Amino acid sequence: MGLDIHVNKLSVWYRGHQALRQVSLDVNAGEVLALIGPSGCGKSTFLRALNRLLDEDLGARRTGQVMMEGVDVLAPEHDITALRRRVGMVFQTPNPFPFSIFDNVAYGLRLQGTNDAAALRRTVEESLRQAALWDEVRGKLRRPALALSGGQQQRLCIARALAVGPEVLLMDEPTASLDPLSTARIEELIGNLRGRYTIVLVTHNLRQAARVSDRTAFFAHGSLVEIGPTRQIFTVPQDPRTEEYLTGRMES
Amino acid sequence: MVLHLVALVLTGVAAALFALIIVSLVRQGLPSLTWRFLVGSPNERAGDNGIAPELMNTAFLIGVTWLVTAPLGLLVAIFLREYGFRRRSAVVRPLNHLRATLLSAPTVVVALVVYRVAVGWWHWPVSLATGCLTLAVINWPFMVTVAEQALASVPQSYREASLGLGATRFATAVRVVIPAALSPLIEGWGLAVARLAGESAALVITAGVNVSRHFSLWGPGETLAVHIWYIRTEGVSVNRDAEAAATGVILLLLIAAVVWSSARVARMLSGGEPR
Repeated sequence: MGLDIHVNKLSVWYRGHQALRQVSLDVNAGEVLALIGPSGCGKSTFLRALNRLLDEDLGARRTGQVMMEGVDVLAPEHDITALRRRVGMVFQTPNPFPFSIFDNVAYGLRLQGTNDAAALRRTVEESLRQAALWDEVRGKLRRPALALSGGQQQRLCIARALAVGPEVLLMDEPTASLDPLSTARIEELIGNLRGRYTIVLVTHNLRQAARVSDRTAFFAHGSLVEIGPTRQIFTVPQDPRTEEYLTGRMES
Repeated sequence: MVLHLVALVLTGVAAALFALIIVSLVRQGLPSLTWRFLVGSPNERAGDNGIAPELMNTAFLIGVTWLVTAPLGLLVAIFLREYGFRRRSAVVRPLNHLRATLLSAPTVVVALVVYRVAVGWWHWPVSLATGCLTLAVINWPFMVTVAEQALASVPQSYREASLGLGATRFATAVRVVIPAALSPLIEGWGLAVARLAGESAALVITAGVNVSRHFSLWGPGETLAVHIWYIRTEGVSVNRDAEAAATGVILLLLIAAVVWSSARVARMLSGGEPR
């Protein structure tokens, strides 16, 4: 079903440099929200704050709140492990572990202590089906994941994230390193996952944002400039900076 | 082009020198390289020396040292690398200094310190046990370095993927980083074993230059490398040159076998990864 996320005045500093400035926005349950903007505008930082992967960077500091079901998940006492199970992440370059296909998808489950072989098999198959990879890898689950093509690896990473039963999926330019055909399949997959998961997608590909997202947020210099229905952002942007960016006139 | 040629010539010269050493060693040791030499005990008066106890001591010393220092080195490396203690460099910096000092200190000097502590204060005999302790002290900084480099070869993206799935840093290290680093780890461990097998001066001081009739942890434990040194300096056997050379051949073969097989296993483990 997905999960509502309310971000309230989120700011992030990297060793004194401010990467995000007082960003407030809401993500609705089950929608696909695209984050666009020039490089270094804070999109990825925003994404990493949502599952607190930012916490792993010792030089990063943040203020503000991210509310999920009325709980501030950025609060120090909030359980990071539980948060990351609810908020899965897919990265810019496919990063399967150097294990078998099966072990990759089962990783998160085993981490949670699931060792029942039948249950593992069931969830692995289900996740691979959801990630539209099952038909290509059935019967080859013991093969090394790194032998798959780039596009397959990225879908495997999506399956790996889905296997732990998240409610939110964060995607950090998931097609940046893929060819057009693989990109199309991932986009189709995102369309299929819409409604079941809340998806936040960072992308440099404006057409991709237009194709797959329900709403789009435009970031520049660490600030949220504008957020609205994708169609509206791409046709009648309210802010002149958004229009400049979309028409390729913005200097970042 | 010219550089290529120079490199080629130099490589050829190095290979030829190496071959020369091996060939002369084998030629010199060949008369002594018999089955009895391998399974017998040293007996200088009878003139038919054997090196079975030395083989045994070498394997034991290296094995125990490896068992102690490999996990220890790995743990320290995980602590240093996977926990990124930039803020608490007060912990990390002295550790790194100690490691660098021990790594560059002459092993004889390290042995003197260990002797002072183990034999002088704790009243351990000059024995296999003291030898193990010495080798462990000599070897752990090397093991930390080996493990650290192996961990460094694991792409950061593996760690992020694991953390992103809700793994703790420790779980990430154990379930992802170490398995992914296993190949360079094993190769490095092989090199460490080779380095230990050649250690002599430190063991002359702490493990002794003779062997006991029965294998004992608290008995003197001469190794192959020490045996060579002993035969050539204090040995009274008639064909001591041949015996030393033969021992050298066996030691070289042992080291080559360890290095080759560890490299082999490492390559096998990384077989699934395109490099």
